Amino acid sequence: MEERKSAFFTIMLLASIILVFTVTDLIQGDRTFSETEKRMLKTRPVFTWDAVFDGKYTRDYEAYLTDQFVSRDKWIRVKTCLDMLMQKAELNGVYLGKDHYLIEQHLPGDYTAIQENKKLLLLEKLVKRWDAAVMLVPTADNILRDRMPAWAPYYNEADLLDRVERQIGSEHYIDVYSILRQHAEEEIYYRTDHHWTTLGAYYGYLAWTRAMGREGDIYDKDAMELVTDQFLGTLHARVNLNMKPDSIYCFPEDPMHPVKVTYDLKDTKDSCYEESYLETRNKYGFFLDDNHALIEIETDYRNGKTLFVIKDSYANCFVPLLIPYYEKIYVMDLRYFNGRLFGFMERYEPEEGMDVLVLYNCIHFLEDFSYLE
Amino acid sequence: MVFSSVVFLFRFLPLFFLLYYVIPGRAKNGILFLGSLFFYAWGEPVYVLLMLFSTVVDYIHGRLLERHRGSAAAKRVLLSSVLINLAVLCFFKYADFLIEAVNGAADISIPLLNLPLPIGISFYTFQTMSYTIDVYRGEAKVQKNLLDFGVYVTMFPQLIAGPIVKYRDVETGLHHRKLSLEGISNGMKRFCIGLAKKVLLANNIGELWVFVSGMEFREMSTMTAWVGILAFAFQIYFDFSGYSDMAIGLGEMLGFHFPENFRYPYISASVTEFWRRWHISLGSWFREYVYIPLGGNRKGRLKQLLNILVVWTLTGIWHGAGWNFLLWGMWFAVLLVLEKLFLGKVLSWLPGVVGILYTMIAVLLGWVLFALDTPGRILGYLMVLAGMGSSLADAQVLYLGRQYGVLLLFALAASTPLFKRAAEELGRRRTGAAAALYHFGEKVIPAVLLLLSIAGIVDASYNPFLYFRF
Repeated sequence: MEERKSAFFTIMLLASIILVFTVTDLIQGDRTFSETEKRMLKTRPVFTWDAVFDGKYTRDYEAYLTDQFVSRDKWIRVKTCLDMLMQKAELNGVYLGKDHYLIEQHLPGDYTAIQENKKLLLLEKLVKRWDAAVMLVPTADNILRDRMPAWAPYYNEADLLDRVERQIGSEHYIDVYSILRQHAEEEIYYRTDHHWTTLGAYYGYLAWTRAMGREGDIYDKDAMELVTDQFLGTLHARVNLNMKPDSIYCFPEDPMHPVKVTYDLKDTKDSCYEESYLETRNKYGFFLDDNHALIEIETDYRNGKTLFVIKDSYANCFVPLLIPYYEKIYVMDLRYFNGRLFGFMERYEPEEGMDVLVLYNCIHFLEDFSYLE
Repeated sequence: MVFSSVVFLFRFLPLFFLLYYVIPGRAKNGILFLGSLFFYAWGEPVYVLLMLFSTVVDYIHGRLLERHRGSAAAKRVLLSSVLINLAVLCFFKYADFLIEAVNGAADISIPLLNLPLPIGISFYTFQTMSYTIDVYRGEAKVQKNLLDFGVYVTMFPQLIAGPIVKYRDVETGLHHRKLSLEGISNGMKRFCIGLAKKVLLANNIGELWVFVSGMEFREMSTMTAWVGILAFAFQIYFDFSGYSDMAIGLGEMLGFHFPENFRYPYISASVTEFWRRWHISLGSWFREYVYIPLGGNRKGRLKQLLNILVVWTLTGIWHGAGWNFLLWGMWFAVLLVLEKLFLGKVLSWLPGVVGILYTMIAVLLGWVLFALDTPGRILGYLMVLAGMGSSLADAQVLYLGRQYGVLLLFALAASTPLFKRAAEELGRRRTGAAAALYHFGEKVIPAVLLLLSIAGIVDASYNPFLYFRF
């Protein structure tokens, strides 16, 4: 009798778990978009016999059910907590670093020597033709080594940078690595995002002034203004943990020196900063209006100098710091450009010539730097 | 359909069992048959016809065997049944492997068929063969009801990944089975445990093996290689035994008793013992239908050793159409022969831990053959294991220990009878705190495992779009 009662309770408990979630899942309507994952969720596939016979229908249907499953975000949270309990140091390609730092993982084997060489040769060609300066910014795993989980492997960007310097010659190479290492204890990378902070970019700027022999340090880093304290970036989206949001700062623009910023030759603004992004999740888009193929910045420093920047998104919070040095700055993102690069640049080059700066983080350089001459 | 999916747990499972428990008596077989066909057709909308073909063919052969019992024709009927089953299996599973072998040997190029392998074909053809052979031998009664026979062949719990249920194991169950609260509750608990083994242990530890096997061998330390293959050993064990647990549990919920398939294989003190604990239903199938008919150990030492070689070569190739599986089977055949000749005796003189260690190493080396598919990779990996890695140990392996250490400890504990013994010990107490703890735990632990497994299943599809990635 006792055993029958016990069995009955077990059945009720386990069956009710299945039934409760089945019923609630059936009742709730479908979502089209996931705020957490920032993507369209799968919707109910269309039934056709063809799709059934080649197995596509049932595959799609399963993906649809799983995407739409009741309390999807909470289940994912539960799994993350379980992983934390299991003392995992890495989730979804993101290291859980010390001091609540999320650090993107790049493994030593991720990039082959062939891939490195290809990019180096491409870079060298650009440098030789345009006498360009090159700033490759190391990613957080290489700089915040003390905050990485013990023994965590990382792709060694110092080796890559050594090779870059040798390949293009040290007169073209701007060493950002050393200065960032010196300031590794400061807030130079976001905790929830893979970008460097404005402070990190400021140290990058110091390295730039030294290498270019420019008058340095016209900025006061204590004068940075808080833009938002609600920034949860890409790395946060990948691990989906409860975290304190990051703060974004910027160097205020000088009202005495107005700028004219033109995006993709059409939209003109009077600031490098776009506040509308602060209402969205993509708050880093605040800098230079997220990503554009070509940005043209006209300053009122009438010194006749022009800069052409070939860059990734790391440059977005960096480029505004260069405004006092140039009358014109062109900022180009190669991912959105399909033409021949050199010809394009020649069109924008004034008669007295222009400076060219290549600015990428080391990983994006290996993954995304490419162009047709 | 796989058990560890939303569609099974929250659509098929509740709907099927509601119908199954509501529908009375004999009609249960009808719903079980239809449910199983739907279950199979979900993943194999075309090959479901092949399974029905197998069912009808063996049903007819069974009837013919009955009619010709005792005459010479019976032997021909049996032969026909076995040949058809093997032909179907060979065509779908081994045709390309054989074509490649012929192409390689004769330097010609017969085009490959590139047929996808029908899910579960190795399991259900072995089941149907056991039926006709048993009927021929008079060890099972012929099944005259096509529906009941269909239920035996297509029954969804063990259809896709075993255990291989012999017809006579479920013969009475097909007509009379008793549903009891205890049976259903035990079945449910068993299912939850199996699901957790698959989703929480196998899937997570599988990540570790995927990582290690994806490394460049020349950059791998010896310790990393050992940790990697250990991870594979746990992955395949919890995957496979988890699936068997789920099948056995579902069987009990239906009122059937399926045979056990795993009994803590990794605590074996010899390879001989390992094969009595690993995939038991396959081992006993080969024993009964191949090893003993070949003469087993009754025709002298030499013949016995030869039989072992034959059976384990077949066991190897049963797991997949590839040279590495053949090699894997033969590796065990050699060890089994050595144990029969002298090694078994030597091991029995030594302390038990030596036997366990030897078996573990033998099995892990076996998994290298099983898990890696080209001779170059197998050899490369074995060399790293043997100490020819980049170093003996490096930061990499420390990090892997940091990342997976707790999980590996769980897996280690779960592959021994530790938890089971602890539960039995508590269960023996009739009163007091221990009894209360037992009654609480035996209900709550499966429920927690079920919930965590659901989280694991949903999380596997977590796929944030990093729109501001660059």
